[in-house]
Amino acid sequence: MTATSAPAATAPADTTAPVLEVRDLVVRYGSGRRGRSAPPAVDGVSFDIWPGETLGVVGESGSGKSTIGKAVLGLHPPAGGTVKLHGRDITSLSLKQRSRLVADLRVVFQDPYSSLNPARTIGQTLVEPLRLLGLKGAEAWAKARAGLESVGLPGDAVDRYPTQFSGGQRQRIAIARALVCDPKVVVLDEPVSALDLSTQAQVLNLLADLRDQRGLAFMFIAHDLGVVRFLAQRSVVLYRGQVMETGPVEAVSSHSRHPYTAALTAAAPVPRPAEQALRRVAREALGIGSAGSAQPTAGGCPFAPRCPLATDVCVDERPALRPVDGKSVACHHAERVPQLLDRLTVPHP
Amino acid sequence: MFAFLSRRLALAVLTVLAAVLISFLLVHATPGSPGAIKAGASGTAAQIAQYNHELGWDLPLWRQFVDYLADLLRLDFGTSLIDSKDIGADLAARLPVTASIAIFATLLSGVVGIVLGVTAAVRGGRLGRLITSSSGIALSLPAFWVGILLVYVLSLQLGWLPATGYTPFGDDPLGWLTSLALPVLTLTVGGAAIIARTAGAGMREALRQEHIRTLRAVGTPEWRILYVHALRYASVPVVSVLGIQFIALFGGSVIIENLFALPGLGQASQAASSSHDLPALVGVVVIATIVVVATNLLLEVVVAALDPKVRTS
Amino acid sequence: MSVLPLDAADEVATEPVPAAERPARAAVLKRPGAVLGVAWLVFLVVASFTAPLWRPYDIDAQDLAHRLEGPSAAHWLGTDPNGRDILSRIFSAGTEPLLVSTLTVLVAFGIGIPLALMAAQRGRRSEQVTSRLTEIVMALPSTILLLAVIGVVGVKIYLVMTVLGVMISAVVYRIMLGVAQSVRQRLYVDAARVNGLGSLAVNVRHVLPGMATVIAVQAAQLFGIALLIQSGLAFLGFGPGEPEPSWGLMIQTASQHIYDAPWLMVPTGLVLAVTVVAVNELADALAGKATAEKVVPKRRTRLVSSSTWPAADPDAVLEVRELSIAVDDGPQLVTGVDFALRPGRVLGLVGESGCGKTMTARSLLGLLPDGVSVSAGSIRWQGRELVELAQQLKGIRGREIAMISQEPMVALDPMFTIAFQLTQPIRRFRGVGRAQAKTIAADLLRSVGIVDAERVLKSYPHQLSGGMAQRVCIALALTGEPKLLIADEPTTALDVTVQAEILSLLRALVRDTGLSVIIVSHDLGVVADICDDVVVMYAGEVVESGSAAAVLDEAAHPYTMALLGANPHVPEGVPVPLRLASIPGTVPPPGSWPSGCRFATRCQFAQPQCHEPFAVLPAHDGGLVRCVRVDELAHDHVTWDADDTADTVETRHALGERQVASTAPARSETSSPTPPTAGVSS
Repeated sequence: MTATSAPAATAPADTTAPVLEVRDLVVRYGSGRRGRSAPPAVDGVSFDIWPGETLGVVGESGSGKSTIGKAVLGLHPPAGGTVKLHGRDITSLSLKQRSRLVADLRVVFQDPYSSLNPARTIGQTLVEPLRLLGLKGAEAWAKARAGLESVGLPGDAVDRYPTQFSGGQRQRIAIARALVCDPKVVVLDEPVSALDLSTQAQVLNLLADLRDQRGLAFMFIAHDLGVVRFLAQRSVVLYRGQVMETGPVEAVSSHSRHPYTAALTAAAPVPRPAEQALRRVAREALGIGSAGSAQPTAGGCPFAPRCPLATDVCVDERPALRPVDGKSVACHHAERVPQLLDRLTVPHP
Repeated sequence: MFAFLSRRLALAVLTVLAAVLISFLLVHATPGSPGAIKAGASGTAAQIAQYNHELGWDLPLWRQFVDYLADLLRLDFGTSLIDSKDIGADLAARLPVTASIAIFATLLSGVVGIVLGVTAAVRGGRLGRLITSSSGIALSLPAFWVGILLVYVLSLQLGWLPATGYTPFGDDPLGWLTSLALPVLTLTVGGAAIIARTAGAGMREALRQEHIRTLRAVGTPEWRILYVHALRYASVPVVSVLGIQFIALFGGSVIIENLFALPGLGQASQAASSSHDLPALVGVVVIATIVVVATNLLLEVVVAALDPKVRTS
Repeated sequence: MSVLPLDAADEVATEPVPAAERPARAAVLKRPGAVLGVAWLVFLVVASFTAPLWRPYDIDAQDLAHRLEGPSAAHWLGTDPNGRDILSRIFSAGTEPLLVSTLTVLVAFGIGIPLALMAAQRGRRSEQVTSRLTEIVMALPSTILLLAVIGVVGVKIYLVMTVLGVMISAVVYRIMLGVAQSVRQRLYVDAARVNGLGSLAVNVRHVLPGMATVIAVQAAQLFGIALLIQSGLAFLGFGPGEPEPSWGLMIQTASQHIYDAPWLMVPTGLVLAVTVVAVNELADALAGKATAEKVVPKRRTRLVSSSTWPAADPDAVLEVRELSIAVDDGPQLVTGVDFALRPGRVLGLVGESGCGKTMTARSLLGLLPDGVSVSAGSIRWQGRELVELAQQLKGIRGREIAMISQEPMVALDPMFTIAFQLTQPIRRFRGVGRAQAKTIAADLLRSVGIVDAERVLKSYPHQLSGGMAQRVCIALALTGEPKLLIADEPTTALDVTVQAEILSLLRALVRDTGLSVIIVSHDLGVVADICDDVVVMYAGEVVESGSAAAVLDEAAHPYTMALLGANPHVPEGVPVPLRLASIPGTVPPPGSWPSGCRFATRCQFAQPQCHEPFAVLPAHDGGLVRCVRVDELAHDHVTWDADDTADTVETRHALGERQVASTAPARSETSSPTPPTAGVSS
């Protein structure tokens, strides 16, 4: 069962094939006996990204969301499953083999401070991938300037060093580096979570503009469902390396059919005191267990120890993803989730 | 913990084997042969061949290595080429000299260094700067030069301590102590400086930690913050450096033993090296390696006991 | 040309440049010791290599009439037992130690660094094999093994020092492996790999430059060690033979003449010692170790006389008036902050980073960083003045006011169990015995929602999750039964579901115990969740304050409006905006705040009068707002516009131009990275 099996999760009909297909991805950390006995960081995750589409990959720390990004990029070898770009299997290609075959996949990382080499000028940083694609000097530099201007920085910033820029500016430079090669898919690994609110808004606006202008596909990794709602069309909700729920982002956040997604949504505060007071009461009424509670059983649902709906079957049997109300949901009790959500629903003015 | 210890022990044995192998190969890479050395300048070719045969030099290399290992297990280090004495017995007599210098110097360095380093970090200001910069100079001074200066001041000018020589503990315990005083002081100058720097840096780093602010926020008395929490935090690097110090003092005592005419291991290795006494050289290397390896083992256990993160993982 | 703004510089102004990237040259030049050291080394190198050209005597020219003499006009540094000139011999002896020490360093680095780069690049398996091998090499007694080598091959100093280099390469490997691994953690290395850069190029272009400082420091230190070993060997007689001079042998000779010619040990010993000191001083300078900690005179605080402020709020437990905080002899960080807190209420201090909210919170407990202090104003806690009363603060910390911080995982002492850390303050605050303190500790842990209190008590901090650690921190803060809890971004480092748990816990504590809370946060959602009152800060001052409901629902200040508009969180079922509000330009760093309204240069509604000084206006029934146009804006019902209108684009464009122009001179002066403030603090 894959994430795309649910009808609503399929992309618009005008595109022919997904640009990125991930199937049954498994990633483990550590080696030897201990590595094999520990639960995998990513456990059988599948999803597609279609041209021009943004897929939000949401989860809390330990959900495996960044690990999926690393596996897709080839920075961490998966233990199982496949990654296809434009239908071509790139799962086990080395980074060097990838560079020749797939210039279409690029990345923007979370930390704007460590993602730029302080010893190199912005220009050197931007030109490096272009040179690798065979562009000659003047042409590459012209493209680097154009790239900087496309993210709202002056082209003559090529001569400056990263320390001369603020966090938000550096993140723009990192975006420019990802986009100079005109990729089709960009992995955005928490690109705004290290930024202040107003800067975060600027970068989110910029990402939305660039996507719309260039028809880019984003794999947008984030811990914040609110940010994902702003940028993504579809989302995948992860918990402990497994997909809990996937589907159109509004359906997932506003009409969730998974208790974990409900907990995640309920926990995100909105900056309106009156509404938030009601949400808080509702959140406390949900009865979600504390994150520090007992470890889940290996064969069962990973969320069972915290879940207010959990029964014996949840402890014994890992729920498969199944279509529920236009989404794919991995929950034995998905049909009972609306009762939970009723507690959460707040009258809107 | 058991798996950890057994892995460490295996590595220790491997290290000693490697040391034996390296020195063994080194000896066999020499252009000459032990027979030639034993026979001296006047030895005839037949004499040399005879000696070499007695020493087993004409056997295949691997065979000699196995034989040597077997002898080692029986604590038999062979006999000296120069004076035909039993090397094992000779080294056994020398070990306590070097060990007592290294142990005393390490302990004294530790006490003096920790007091200075903690004072520098806690008091700061002018005194702190003075300690930091003078320890920076002290750790750069060559020990043999410091030794001469100390002899000149403490023994020639003030006449407090004997300049050179060694009195065995059995002969005169007080004389033994005074005969060790100058070498130990000499080694302590550099040693204490290094410990002072480590302890000072460790304390300063400890006091920058977030948890120190937590302690302040609940009104913890300052002495408790400094001497219970910060000192404990700084203890791990200090203990590690103390261990390294001991190893360095043990191996580096050659020069000090030469300067103060002490009959220790260092003196033996210098003599063996000058006279190309090959079996004695291998013996010294093996003994020194065993000491280093044992110290490292002890150090890891102590660090594991000090640091809960290591202990509980 | 771009039309989008150059954005916030506040992180740059506050973020220190990592030590590894700091231009080494500047660091060295700042230390007088290092300057002298470099000067000495240059002198020594030149003097040694040119010695045959200038030395007054030949190295073996004997003057038997003047043996063992002190300094004289003929022999500046005296003569040795054979009447040879010491000055000539010292500098003639200098080339060999300099050359062989360089050789040792080159060999050690030539082996150690490539091995380390390879091990860091390959997986754990091959790294472990290399590491075990180097552990064995490191455990070999190097001095004794060197003597063994000499015993076998004779005094071939270049060969011997090469062997030393091989042995030291194991140490170099260990150090460089750690550095290489941490450099490889940096994301720019991953980015280059994703671009398809080959592994050699990744190492040369991206990993090695990040290791440059450590390499330089290690090279200097190793050079010093090699110098000492080389001269030590010569001291033992394993150096160049007579009549060739060597420092070690000259000191050995001196040691034999300590009775009749003590002067002899001075010149050679000093030259060797000064050289090693110089090298180590250079290493320290490269490592950026500060020996000179600036002594800052404690600045006297100007108290606002209490007559100026008739108790504005008789119910308040805490009143902060005209509070200013400044770097000693430096810029102001916070100016004129006013707020009051009533018992059992939760007050939020909000703003972006660099706005002074954390400094304000810390000043309440006297826990400002070193070199930062309250420069003016008053903090009244239950009628007592806390500013300038450090002694009184000690009795108040923990007992009346407590604090929890942003990073629960590092806020607890890693070396002690939770039980130890909780029972210590419990015994002090409540005067109980060990056993009773433990019972109280367990009860406290249960009161902050920890079910298995007994197990947690036995744990060390690293065995806890972030949420659990924050609960323990709250329990620790409650040991003295305080009346006010200051929480500095208590949930920022936590997952959102854990954040919800902690917020619920804090709210329950307020409800059940009558605790007052001051919470510092950048998240308006958190403020909406838990706060009764809110103080919005911008560039070191309060721009708006009042009840949370009033400020968030009817924001009067444009900055608050903009912050609300930039927040993407809307309740479920409400459509997400297509564009988020953003604020052009940067938060001006401390020291370069504009006069008049500090927000004016970034404000959509700024007009000429905003740049003139103006009075704070009352707002929100007891709060205040710092905007001269507030009534006009309220009258027109304006909101912060998320779209780029022509008007705002114009402003942004101009701003962007100005910033770029201001950085141009810095760029043309030098090709090395300029200090961050030069580029952005326009």
